Amino acid sequence: MSARKSLKSKLENISNLPTLPTVIDRITKLLQNPKTSAEEIGKAITTDQALASKVLKLVNSAFYGFPGKISTITHAIVILGFATVKNIVLTASIFDAFRGKGKNVTGFDLEQFWFHSIACGAASQSIAKHIGSTEKEECFIAGLIHDIGKLIIYRNLPEDFESLLKHSKDNSVLFYQSETELFDITHQEAGGMLAEKWNLPKNLRNAVLYHHTPSQNRDYYLTTAIVHCADIIVRAFDYGNGGDNRIPCINENVWKNLGLDDTNLAALFESIEDEIKKATVFIQLT
Amino acid sequence: MKKISAEKIEDGMVLGRDVCGASGSILLSKGSSLSQSMGRRLINWGISFVYVEGEEVHEQEENSATTSPEELRSQLMEKFSNTINNPIMKKLFVAVYQYKLQKSSK
Repeated sequence: MSARKSLKSKLENISNLPTLPTVIDRITKLLQNPKTSAEEIGKAITTDQALASKVLKLVNSAFYGFPGKISTITHAIVILGFATVKNIVLTASIFDAFRGKGKNVTGFDLEQFWFHSIACGAASQSIAKHIGSTEKEECFIAGLIHDIGKLIIYRNLPEDFESLLKHSKDNSVLFYQSETELFDITHQEAGGMLAEKWNLPKNLRNAVLYHHTPSQNRDYYLTTAIVHCADIIVRAFDYGNGGDNRIPCINENVWKNLGLDDTNLAALFESIEDEIKKATVFIQLT
Repeated sequence: MKKISAEKIEDGMVLGRDVCGASGSILLSKGSSLSQSMGRRLINWGISFVYVEGEEVHEQEENSATTSPEELRSQLMEKFSNTINNPIMKKLFVAVYQYKLQKSSK
């Protein structure tokens, strides 16, 4: 076996990893106090005007079911609830953190990448709904960010990223497989690093870290399991492209544990398609 | 005003009618100026036609080529080739194939 190149130390030493706005921390703290009012949260969010306007744009999209009806953040909290608004703020912040293009890399279409990510989020949300999970909003975020590790490599080490794309294409293998063959770190771990730095909840972190290897996931299994399946379905339907043209093999236990083995798949596909259409609004944030 | 396929959107064209997404929300409003990259985004989101300002011209038949069942099968087969021996992947393959087939016949 040829020696694998070290990317890990390079990635660990990147000083300008994208950050999330401080308002996220503030809201999280506020939400830990049961006496916090909708107004206080609203105020905290509106201190970041750019973020607040994006949140309102999302809140008023078809995706959240109240198109054009909500005019203030406080109003949004009253109608949608704290948890949902916090998730929306987080979603808008993630898009902000990765806004803009990196270098041109042969064979990589950033727009297709985002489409794949958004579609995977929408599909994760549909699967969560389909199996009656209450975590559907978090599943959307988990699906949306499952591949952020790829973006970190793309932005900071574009040449290595390009060699990964080329290797995947030339050998008809998954991007993930190319990573394990060429380097000492995968996009799962790179994304996991960022998720940890961002202090994201454990279920989101795990979904990033184990979406290709769900059997290694020890706790907060459900979100990871759902994203694992959503990624595969979204690839089968060619919703966007995350960097390779293959489909990973499903983990049979995961599929069965979610109850997908004896479900009406056509109905699930239908709801995924609908959800992706509704997620149109997110492309405007990229 | 003329109706054009989203692939033919060029930089500087002006939108003649609102573009609506599922459930009626407005994605782009009338009067917005368009660009090729925006056209690609619209296609990604399943929007195939838009109305732009300007004179009506005769368009050749709108997207004539639909994928035949055989083509669909072989395209999918290529994607699944490494995993088709797994019973669940096989099931998934069949379900996706049938779903796509049914959609394309509508």
